[in-house]
Amino acid sequence: MKCMECSFEAPVSRFRYLYNARIDASISLRQCPNCQSWLAVDELKSSPRQKVGPGEAPWGKSAGIESLAEDHQT
Amino acid sequence: MAEGALNAAELENKQEWWWLAEKKRSNRLDYLRKSVWKKGALGGNYAPGIKLDLEIPTLFTDMWNFWKFDPVMMRRAKALAHVLDNITIFITDHSQIMGYLGSAPHTIGWRVDGASIVNEELYNEPGIIPEPEDESLKKIADLNAYWGGQTAVDKLARILDPEDAVKFLSGAIGWGAPTSAYGYSGKNYEYFMTGERAFEDIIAEIDRNIEKAEDKTIGTPGPDILPLYDRMQNWEAMKVILKAAIRYAGRYARLARIIAENYETDPKRREDLLKVADTCGHVPAHPPRNLHESLQYDHFIQILARFEAHEGAWPARPDYYHGPYYDKDVNREKNITKEEALDLIGEFLIRAYEVGGFGPRWAREGLQGITGTWVWTLGGVNKDGSDACNDMTRALLQAARLVRVANPTFAFRWHPGVREDVMREVFECIRQGLGYPSIRNDPVLVENAMYWHGHPLEEARTWVHQACMSPCPTTKHGFQPMRMASATANCAKIIEYALHNGYDHVVNMQMGPKTGDARKFTDFEQLFAAWARQMEWIFNTLVRTVNLGRYKDSEFYGRPFLSAISERSIETGIDAVSPIGERGNAWITAFTWVENADSLAAIKKLVFDEKKYTMDSLVTALEANWEGYEEMRLDFVRGAPKWGNDDDYVDSVMIRCLEECARHSHEIKCPCGNNWPILPENVSGNIHYANIVGALPNGRRLGDALYDGGISPGPGLDKKGPTAVLKSCGKIDHVHHGRAFLLNQRLSPTQLSGEKGYQLWMSYLKTWADLGLDHVQFNMVSDATLRSAQRDPEKYPELIVRVAGYSAHFVDISRKTQDNIIQRTVQGLG
Repeated sequence: MKCMECSFEAPVSRFRYLYNARIDASISLRQCPNCQSWLAVDELKSSPRQKVGPGEAPWGKSAGIESLAEDHQT
Repeated sequence: MAEGALNAAELENKQEWWWLAEKKRSNRLDYLRKSVWKKGALGGNYAPGIKLDLEIPTLFTDMWNFWKFDPVMMRRAKALAHVLDNITIFITDHSQIMGYLGSAPHTIGWRVDGASIVNEELYNEPGIIPEPEDESLKKIADLNAYWGGQTAVDKLARILDPEDAVKFLSGAIGWGAPTSAYGYSGKNYEYFMTGERAFEDIIAEIDRNIEKAEDKTIGTPGPDILPLYDRMQNWEAMKVILKAAIRYAGRYARLARIIAENYETDPKRREDLLKVADTCGHVPAHPPRNLHESLQYDHFIQILARFEAHEGAWPARPDYYHGPYYDKDVNREKNITKEEALDLIGEFLIRAYEVGGFGPRWAREGLQGITGTWVWTLGGVNKDGSDACNDMTRALLQAARLVRVANPTFAFRWHPGVREDVMREVFECIRQGLGYPSIRNDPVLVENAMYWHGHPLEEARTWVHQACMSPCPTTKHGFQPMRMASATANCAKIIEYALHNGYDHVVNMQMGPKTGDARKFTDFEQLFAAWARQMEWIFNTLVRTVNLGRYKDSEFYGRPFLSAISERSIETGIDAVSPIGERGNAWITAFTWVENADSLAAIKKLVFDEKKYTMDSLVTALEANWEGYEEMRLDFVRGAPKWGNDDDYVDSVMIRCLEECARHSHEIKCPCGNNWPILPENVSGNIHYANIVGALPNGRRLGDALYDGGISPGPGLDKKGPTAVLKSCGKIDHVHHGRAFLLNQRLSPTQLSGEKGYQLWMSYLKTWADLGLDHVQFNMVSDATLRSAQRDPEKYPELIVRVAGYSAHFVDISRKTQDNIIQRTVQGLG
């Protein structure tokens, strides 16, 4: 996986797992070991989706998930 | 401040509640609110400028050492008296209520005699060491060297079973320190707060008891007189501390008079200071005569109790006990106006908010943003069952909206007889984003208190929150002087240990019993049997430790002041922490509870019913922390029913788990011989334990926040709406399954605006009450606001959220906790 901020490349497991974006989606937060950026990562594809700053959390049913985590509400 | 240009109606429309409060409160209250030092930790760290108070531990230790040959209660009383006589006191500008746990407003107290493992943590907190730092560090080192081995917890650790001690101290299965040096002390308000007596009266009562005892000790010899020698010492110790407390108040009276007569130039302030002098000269020596004295009396007692122990909670029922004085001053005699009363009550809240003590990091992380769970109880019923709400209830709810402190918070004892005008005040606090009061179902909880602990009806009706959630009477035999601290179970470990044969892969040691290799379980019953055994082991280990701590507390710690305000101690001469004379009111706080039901249901469905996975593959995936098993993990989340959706499949698993715990709760007994029901709730332990609980079958990985607690569904997993959540929770028997059950709900501030919003909320509450739930609390802040506060925290310093059993300023909690709150489902009503 390649960091979207500094282009550091390593297997996804080298990116420190922080916590899930929401438990029922495959998006989690991981931290680049090189530049310490927080990344939203698609765990199914092992690929980063966006850099995450404060207030940009890619979750929350009422927030519309901001196009990242699929909403499984029925 | 641009917002300042808006009028009150515009601010209300924009839901700018902080600015609205600023506009509505008096200049005095505004000054007091803005000048107060925030003691709650920001995430896990103290705010810049907060310093450790070294006067208290130094004064205390000097005199503790000097009186080394005295019995423990007398020794503590004399050491505390020395502190009260010599600590630097101050009067905050414009304040009218005195007393603080420290020598300056920015200091936090340090309970030096509680636990060496807490004392040692000071070396890791460079920001709070007072200047000059080298000198302070040397003083801290000297104090630590003196107390090493002789704190309350050090003494207890020496007699604990070594295996219990290691597992307890691992931090994996529970938290807390089994001593009254920390934890929550109930108060015998029915003894000292009814206006019938104050400290001079109690001293006179003690003198009569000593006299009677002395007569016996010079009479006919026999075994009955032998305990009296110790008891007379205890009574003398209680007198020492009560007299010191009166002198402590007298120091404030003198200081206020000196300032007023020599320095103050503002005539209004001079008048206020002379009133302060008069008040502090009267209470706590004598019963209060008016609202100001009643509030001051209460505040002195709370501060004095905290000089004696690091009380992490603040059990109180201010409307019930101060209500008669409010009525006298405002309604009957018209000594003060309603606005003046609101001002005093607002300050009363601020004075409580400013109190803080040093706590270890695990405690700060578990109680982010606050210094303790100070949940004050409002409403409820009188002893005869009639409505206890009064004008003080309304005034407290109004004052809370004016000062908007995160601590204390309120919990409201709802019952069918509460008047609508009171409910509207309650709703207004919630609608204005305070996150409190939480709503408690009084009839259910009174019945619950009678069922679990045998409190008689009239006593049960006096109940206050001993901490966040647990009711405790305020009566002679009903009040609990030492919350059975440390019986706080990290319950997610129950299912984790059931799946790993009792082995903890996070702390790398065998913790629970070996209940079998889960890979070889062939049906759900085998798994559930393992779960039940692990549950019993965790509860037994914690309760054994805490029971011993309680049993030995009068020897290892002792509470002269708490005893001096407790009827049963005044009557018998026995330390209040002794189990003798107490009915028993213990509970096991069940952190991280719902993960058990969701995990067990997922295994039952996907492994044993549908046979989609094997136990072997599941345990392998969990040991890998789901790394490389993302599709399987998602299946365990999405493909299995989750608690909170009115789905009998998982709800029946929840009920079965609770029934199993309730069965065991009747088997384990407290030192008073009473039961240990469970009480699911979390404070912010769901964040603290995120890196301690391993991967679980509900789909969480090591590192993920646990559910927000109690019986609240997993964030975002309650997909069927608010009624389904209530129906799931309504399947729990809130009297017989446990002591209380916390439920967090997020509601839309837009939907609940105006009259329609109130009617929707009341309709929701009716369903909640009809289903017999005992608790619910609300966050009514939008995602958009919360996200903006994450982006620009400096613009939202006063945004309050309900974390778990307490509220906190949003910017004071960690990013992870903030995210966990945003993850919670916003329920639409109607």
